[in-house]
Amino acid sequence: MPNLRVLLSDEPGKRVLLLGNEAIARGILEAGIGVVTTYPGTPASEIGDSVSAIAEEAGLYMEYSTNEMVAVEVAAGAVNCGVRALTAMKHVGLNVAADAVMTLAYIGVRGGYVIVTADDPQCYSSQNEQDNRFYALLSNLPCLEPSTPQEAKDMTVSAVELSEELGLPVLLRTTTRVNHTRGPVVYGNLTKPKLKGEFVREPNRLVMVPANARPMHVKLLEKAEKAEEISEKSPYNTVVYKGNGELGIICSGSAYNYAAEATSLLGLDVGILKLGMTHPLPERMIGEFLKTYKKIVVVEELEPYLEMNVKAIAKDYAPTAEIYGKMRRSYFPRKGELSTRAVVTGLAEITGKKPPIDFGEIDSKYAEAVKDLPSRPPILCPGCPHRASFYVIRKVTGGKAVYPTDIGCYALGFAPPLSIGDILICMGSSVSTAQGINKATGVDTVAVIGDSTFFHAAIPGLINAVYNNHKVTLAVLDNLTTAMTGHQPHPGTGTTGMHTTATRVLIEKVAEGCGVKYVRVVNPFNIDEASRVLKEAVQYPGPSVVVFRAPCTLMLMSEKRRKGIKTVPCRVTDRCTNCMACIKLLGCPAITIKDGKVSIDETLCTACGLCASICPYKAIECGGS
Amino acid sequence: MDEFNIVLAGVGGQGILLASEILGTAAVKEGLNVRVSEIHGMAQRGGAVVSNVRIGDKVLAPTVLEGKADVLLGFEPLETLRNLKFASEKTLVLMNDETVPPTELMRTMKKYPGLNEITEKIHRFTRKLIVVKAADLALKAGNILTRNVALIGALAATGNLPVKVESLEEALRELVPAKYLEVNLKAFKLGFEAVGENKSSRF
Ligand code: SF4
Ligand code: SF4
Repeated sequence: MPNLRVLLSDEPGKRVLLLGNEAIARGILEAGIGVVTTYPGTPASEIGDSVSAIAEEAGLYMEYSTNEMVAVEVAAGAVNCGVRALTAMKHVGLNVAADAVMTLAYIGVRGGYVIVTADDPQCYSSQNEQDNRFYALLSNLPCLEPSTPQEAKDMTVSAVELSEELGLPVLLRTTTRVNHTRGPVVYGNLTKPKLKGEFVREPNRLVMVPANARPMHVKLLEKAEKAEEISEKSPYNTVVYKGNGELGIICSGSAYNYAAEATSLLGLDVGILKLGMTHPLPERMIGEFLKTYKKIVVVEELEPYLEMNVKAIAKDYAPTAEIYGKMRRSYFPRKGELSTRAVVTGLAEITGKKPPIDFGEIDSKYAEAVKDLPSRPPILCPGCPHRASFYVIRKVTGGKAVYPTDIGCYALGFAPPLSIGDILICMGSSVSTAQGINKATGVDTVAVIGDSTFFHAAIPGLINAVYNNHKVTLAVLDNLTTAMTGHQPHPGTGTTGMHTTATRVLIEKVAEGCGVKYVRVVNPFNIDEASRVLKEAVQYPGPSVVVFRAPCTLMLMSEKRRKGIKTVPCRVTDRCTNCMACIKLLGCPAITIKDGKVSIDETLCTACGLCASICPYKAIECGGS
Repeated sequence: MDEFNIVLAGVGGQGILLASEILGTAAVKEGLNVRVSEIHGMAQRGGAVVSNVRIGDKVLAPTVLEGKADVLLGFEPLETLRNLKFASEKTLVLMNDETVPPTELMRTMKKYPGLNEITEKIHRFTRKLIVVKAADLALKAGNILTRNVALIGALAATGNLPVKVESLEEALRELVPAKYLEVNLKAFKLGFEAVGENKSSRF
């Protein structure tokens, strides 16, 4: 991946190719932000990771916080001492942080504060595709929505200015196709970060007891009114095309990109109102736009957030306006991500124009070509320690227990042949749902959770199990990193986002501290020992915790490569009877069938030895590494 | 140039992100407008991966429209098929012949389709198909992980890209850690020569 030092370059006007998330990191440097906090989550992860890579050199502080709420609270402390801050999280992270955010809106900020919420339409790497623009509505906080990496950077800087002008946190709402798109970005000036501020006692503003909260709510509403005036004049809210007065499109964020390309494909001469500040909306500007066109089309991804508001505005400004979108009659999808195709199709239906591409023909030709094409869902890496843990869990419980799972690579274990993963809601839900399932059925439950997720959200659930004496087993698959999101450190790793060493918080000690009486640590690749311990844990009459500890193989292998250590792959000997046990039980991508015989792909095998230890004929040889 | 669309398709771990970034960086070096869209996170774990590179003045959307790819760069045959919806008779398909059988095939004991069947399906969309042995080239260069760069070299040799070979090499120098630069440059050259010289690999 790129050398992130390019972000530090002090050459205003320089044009570089940046990922949307790297562009936000650059914006952080241009805005003079002193504190960056985050909890990693796709599609937001590279914001924190980019900052972590250059923080020391840039002279700012960054941390991977234990969860998004903690991240917001740490930043809330800093910004109320006059230091500028940014917190980055994925959309569902804002659910975790919402408790803090909703009331921080009352308190406000002294130093500029930006909260990046990265939404994931299409659930590329998420459990839902909620539309976080509604959090802006709910919290009364201003919201900016970039369409491109360039805007992502520019808006980061503007959001800090806006935040200081209003004394409010500002939401920067991105979507996967902005976070994970690379585009040219032209640099602005760097601002030296201010790291030290001063805490001034202002209990009436800062201590949200009811008597103080009531007047602060009034203040918030005043700020929101001021924000609306700013929105009317914001350079991010503009009519980019005037058109011929027939059709006017209102859009925001990535929807603008699709809308602009779709109209040019269809040869439509339309007006486009592009909204970059989507809360508060520029009411008068939208009102005028509504009056100018015969037909109005609202193009937006996910929920009809703009459409609802535009229709409400129309009631006052243009009650007879014809407005098309996705409410009542759906011209555009309300689920999944938008695409040029979806916008072309919707606009074609509204205008009666024929699309220049026969999508139907492509679809049927394509369907014919890919009939019977095997799917290729994401799977655990070859050598992944989770595969060994799942094998052990299945073997010990015979598939008869219920296996609540959690957010991380190990969620992939739900798929056959491992088939461990029966219910998954959100971060930390495994340990608590297990308790309800056990109460309601009496069936053994083995809840699965990762190390980072354990620290993020499992501890109250675990304490609940102890306090209410729920008979559950929590298997913590501790791979010593936050693997899924790109291998960030966490409290159990002993390093920080600033690359300093830290006190390791040990999961087993936490569990003991929570009052769990049966706590053991095992190596999942030591199948016999791990099985014996897990069996004991499941039979234990109260809550039990087994930590399966082995490093993430992806991380381990890149470390080995860096150090020049060779891996000698395992191989199948002629003792192999083609019984297929390894294939049927493990689903390791390195085990393949070649000319009808089991064979190990030596470019993929990491020599973890799992297949060798479960082969009933001892036909797989590992060693030498 | 209005737009030039490249769809890169393969399996997580094959180096598609770096390949896309090389193309995008080369375009920026030449002052062109570009969008590179990637998928990170869960989808990367050994699953099907698609990335789009769009170069040109009119480009705004990060993703390629069905039927509008100028190049489909297939890192793996089945994944090439999976992305044929982006191809038309104008599309050049440049495909690595290295197969990565999905684990589903193993479990159900089904066979990976033969190269003939795959090329026949591609031919329903376009006659412009070049098959490259990128894994062999990468191993010859000294590291299997350079198959992505070998493919970029092969693509450069077709003369189909709106960016210069020198810009691609420059991007490579910028993006690849110094330690691995030499083997990558070698893979690029081998890829370039494979297509430049051996026209028989055209189907
Ligand atoms: S990244 Fe690590 S934890 Fe995730 S599947 Fe791969 S080896 Fe397992
Ligand atoms: S040793 Fe066996 S299970 Fe482990 S990576 Fe190699 S083939 Fe897969």
